[in-house]
Amino acid sequence: MIIVETKNLSKVYNPDTVPVHALRDVNITIEKGEFTSIVGPSGSGKTTLLNMLGGLDKPTSGEVMVNGEKITGMKDSRLIDFRLKNIGFVFQHYNLIPVFTARENVSFIMLLQNRDKNEMMKRTDALLEQVGLGDRKDARPKEMSGGQQQRVAVARALASEPKFILADEPTANLDSNSAMNLLDIMERMNREEGVTFIFSTHDQRVIDRARRVIKMVDGAIAEDTLISVEAANQ
Amino acid sequence: MKTLLTIAWRNIWRHPARSGVLIAAVVAGLWAGVVTVGVLNGMMDQRLNNLIESELTHIQVHHPEFLDEGYSRLFIEKVDEIAAFLKQDERVKAFTKRTITDGMLQSPVKTSGVRIRGIDSESETRTTNFHTNMMEGEYLDSSIPNAVIIGRTMANEHNMELGHRVVLTFEDVSNQLTSSAFNIVGIFESAGTDFDRRNVFVRSSDISSILYDKAVFHEIAIMLHDEPFAQSLAADINQNFSGITAQTWRELSPELNLIVEFGEVMLYLIMLIIMAALAFGILNTMLMALFERMREIGMLISIGMSRTRVFLMIMLEAIVLTLTGAAAGILLAIFSIRYLSSAGVNLERFAAGIAELGWDHMIYPIMSTPEYVTVVIMVIVITLLASLYPAAKAIRINPLEAAKDS
Ligand SMILES: Nc1ncnc2c1ncn2[C@@H]1O[C@H](COP(=O)(O)OP(=O)(O)O)[C@@H](O)[C@H]1O
Ligand SMILES: [Mg+2]
Repeated sequence: MIIVETKNLSKVYNPDTVPVHALRDVNITIEKGEFTSIVGPSGSGKTTLLNMLGGLDKPTSGEVMVNGEKITGMKDSRLIDFRLKNIGFVFQHYNLIPVFTARENVSFIMLLQNRDKNEMMKRTDALLEQVGLGDRKDARPKEMSGGQQQRVAVARALASEPKFILADEPTANLDSNSAMNLLDIMERMNREEGVTFIFSTHDQRVIDRARRVIKMVDGAIAEDTLISVEAANQ
Repeated sequence: MKTLLTIAWRNIWRHPARSGVLIAAVVAGLWAGVVTVGVLNGMMDQRLNNLIESELTHIQVHHPEFLDEGYSRLFIEKVDEIAAFLKQDERVKAFTKRTITDGMLQSPVKTSGVRIRGIDSESETRTTNFHTNMMEGEYLDSSIPNAVIIGRTMANEHNMELGHRVVLTFEDVSNQLTSSAFNIVGIFESAGTDFDRRNVFVRSSDISSILYDKAVFHEIAIMLHDEPFAQSLAADINQNFSGITAQTWRELSPELNLIVEFGEVMLYLIMLIIMAALAFGILNTMLMALFERMREIGMLISIGMSRTRVFLMIMLEAIVLTLTGAAAGILLAIFSIRYLSSAGVNLERFAAGIAELGWDHMIYPIMSTPEYVTVVIMVIVITLLASLYPAAKAIRINPLEAAKDS
């Protein structure tokens, strides 16, 4: 089942002054349950691509389909609601709400979704346990390490039960232990719960964990490699 | 909504110093503004009461042309009927009849134009407190014949003392000039030196007998239990009696009325200045808060927080922040005014001159409930208006702010 699909996706920054072709005719298809990494050198267009897939920015031409629905050209308010219901985000800088505890950060997105209170509390606790923060539920972001904060961010992204989770360089600010720990959690959620992850990175050890690697060069797809489960587990 | 309030509240305390300064400014501004208005109100009110209670009274009845023409023949015809009417009216606290004519006062030193006011000291004392202005001698209540009391200014200018005699010359009701010698039995000093120079008081019965062959009165001065009834009672008198005009103090003394209206304008003016400062403070604080939180708000919009909710979140933060201060400021003001309204504020040190102009230096501040309500409404409206801009700015934040490198 196709979850995300792009058609001749192009993005030109500053078209009137110094045009930068950040994406050139990108056509990709992501299936449900994928654990896909977007790789490439700095400036190759990874962030731009993820922003397009997440409906955070508008392409210059081409279109993005999510779950069979065309999000390109969608009205802004509808797009925000669409993101709330369909897309999970994990940012490089964690971006938690600083005045909220881990628990409040995770349940906040479900509040935005107007979910049932009881279910929300249970789900929040369960998710924090799953990302290994059962004992840090009432900690505020500034009382947590970067790795812990990023795990809260993953729990938050999972909380909204999105069709897929976008993570732009989720490990870039983490030490390698925390990075591997985060990857373990993401991988487990993918394997056990079938959560689709699309993440960008230029860290080789993170790339090694992916089951599909899309390599970008100069805004275009240079390579698209599927790695068999067996190969990945070796 | 509850969660948005929680975010707002916690964000306020993220920078305790910054929020604290704004809250303190709101508290101080509102407190100072309300107390100032209260003091001004008190000043106006006391000034008003002084004038009304010492001489003017709430309502005066005259022959319709008397105030303009001043002839002694323009007296009130149905004085007894009006008196009977006033006696049975529950709104009336007391009233007194006055015989008034313009004339000349002659002393060995010089001659001055004066208004001669014939009063009945007994009913006058029940109606006004002019007797408290007596500095020397008596208030026309002895049996000394043809007694007159004069103002301190007049006494000084004419070099006169108690026991001296002056000659009063005036027209009787048939426009014949008559003169009579009067004995100075008292000297008064009222709020205004000009009044003291132009007015002398005699017994109504003394002057009346010279003017005509029966008692004549030109003015009935009426004090009420409650000032707000002045309008309706004046209307009733006018409706019941012809050949006279009853006027309230507002009509009789337009300048006094002006003072009252000026006081109301001052309330709005002072509050407006404070509100402008308040709006500036809110804008400044909220824009600072917003600027620091571009990434956070970008993230919220990215993950799917609607712009309506972002708008509400920022509005709530500004509102909670300001209203916390406003509530404290107004409470403080209420307690201050409650205390000062009995303890009084002594303005002598700040305005030594005001007493000479007939203003009290001990002021007892007054704030009415509608005035407090006005202040509260103004604060709420200004807070809402001043929060609109930061909130409108917040919803235009690009979700891509979330991914920017700081
Ligand atoms: N907002 C922007 N304005 C102008 N140029 C941009 C902007 N964002 C990215 N670019 C340019 O687009 C290209 C792709 O950037 P980006 O997608 O961030 O690459 P990556 O994430 O792979 O490092 C780069 O050349 C970058 O300089
Ligand atoms: Mg990037």
